[in-house]
Amino acid sequence: MTSPDISIPSLMLCFFLLVIPLAISYRIKLHISWTTIDAVARMTVQLVLVGVFLTYVFDLNNGALNMAWVLGMVIIASYSTIRNIELKMEKLLLPVILSFIAANLSVLMYFNKFVLDLGNLLEARYLIPIGGMILGNSLKGNIVGMGVFYEDIRRNENRYIYNLSLGASMYEALMPYIRKCLRSALRPTLANIATTGIVFLPGMMTGQILEGASPMLAIKYQISIMIAIYVSTTMSTVFSILSTIHTTFDEYGLVKKEIYREKGKKKENKKRI
Amino acid sequence: MQDEIIRYENVGVSFGSKKVLSNFSLNIPKGKKILMKGKSGVGKSTLFKTLLGFEKISEGSLYYRGKLLNPQLSWQVRKEVAYVSQNTDLGEGPVKALLEEVHAYRPNRKKMDPEKLHMFMGELELEEDILEKNFENLSGGEKQRIGILIALLLGRDVFLLDEATSSLDSGLKKKVADNFLKHGDWTLVIISHDREWEREEVEIIEIGKTDPIEE
Repeated sequence: MTSPDISIPSLMLCFFLLVIPLAISYRIKLHISWTTIDAVARMTVQLVLVGVFLTYVFDLNNGALNMAWVLGMVIIASYSTIRNIELKMEKLLLPVILSFIAANLSVLMYFNKFVLDLGNLLEARYLIPIGGMILGNSLKGNIVGMGVFYEDIRRNENRYIYNLSLGASMYEALMPYIRKCLRSALRPTLANIATTGIVFLPGMMTGQILEGASPMLAIKYQISIMIAIYVSTTMSTVFSILSTIHTTFDEYGLVKKEIYREKGKKKENKKRI
Repeated sequence: MQDEIIRYENVGVSFGSKKVLSNFSLNIPKGKKILMKGKSGVGKSTLFKTLLGFEKISEGSLYYRGKLLNPQLSWQVRKEVAYVSQNTDLGEGPVKALLEEVHAYRPNRKKMDPEKLHMFMGELELEEDILEKNFENLSGGEKQRIGILIALLLGRDVFLLDEATSSLDSGLKKKVADNFLKHGDWTLVIISHDREWEREEVEIIEIGKTDPIEE
């Protein structure tokens, strides 16, 4: 048994459901009608493009092309991590890309080799969706982790500087900040792991069950992927922090002020220690 | 000169277009006690921060033990000089953990001597149970004394004290000053408005007496 096809008219009927939130938004002046339409339109266009591209990529199933696709996803994930944390691209993009590659690709390859035991590690229908899941979660973890780290180091710079003055190396003085940021980055993933199966059936499992796979097979995939996600999120956040430190701190061990993008309001200029 | 610890030579510091210090010169030999006075905003704290590498000088030269200050040397200064910051936001969590963390830094290992700890705590009139309390819940005066305690525990002999006694009562100010000044070999650079530091052996320097010269 495989899932029934969704015809275009059926898809239209699904879009029709949006009338409900739009009506609510209109009635109680929520002012999210336009945002809703915009978001759904974006999603549709993006997915149509991805669908078209993926059809080709899957048909060709060329190892190099599949890898290029994953690398493309890595670059986009790195870019959107930095965009989301209000930091400037130039000093951070390269170290974050390299961290994502090192962390996520190694976990992905390990997964394909030892967990799925694939003959071809670059097989499109495993490499791309599993790579996507791992990357997507790393992205979320990094947004939280890097965001907390750089915000904290700016807000509590006095404490950091004080620890430097006591003779701490940069790593020693940064360790409390690194601990805190990793805890923040990993907490959502851990909560997700702990509630899987009770609160929700994860997307991948749902997909496999819809495709007719046995629930037992689906849960084995789900368990493995959750572990892979946790490991890769941990690794990528650690790598991102450790590698960006080299470009975002100066030779005196101070964070370079120019890495911060100014938000809407002007930040007060703290000069006192 | 062998005994020279710190030497400022026509040092100037600017934040953006604002000049906070200009043409400041001072030679601090080993064992010297110097009290810097002056209105707030004249750049006294900045003098400490430049030596520690937290602010950059825009003109002149700064020497530490006869060597021109550069990034590597400022890391060295941080290992050899004890700094008590004017800001008392030193950390969070139990005081004991804070002290342990400081002593876990490579240059400070093996310096945590329980006997010394109790002796210094006694001198600073700190109760035993303060070690279990969370630093962020301490009063301003207690926080300040923990800052002094840490500086003393490090066992260094050059001290930069930035308003280190401002929140203490006058009896304690005197006691702290006595304790620092009794060490003839200690080099002390003190920024303070407290009269308790004004002693015979202490040289007083007025900073920013003349207005910064516009160029």
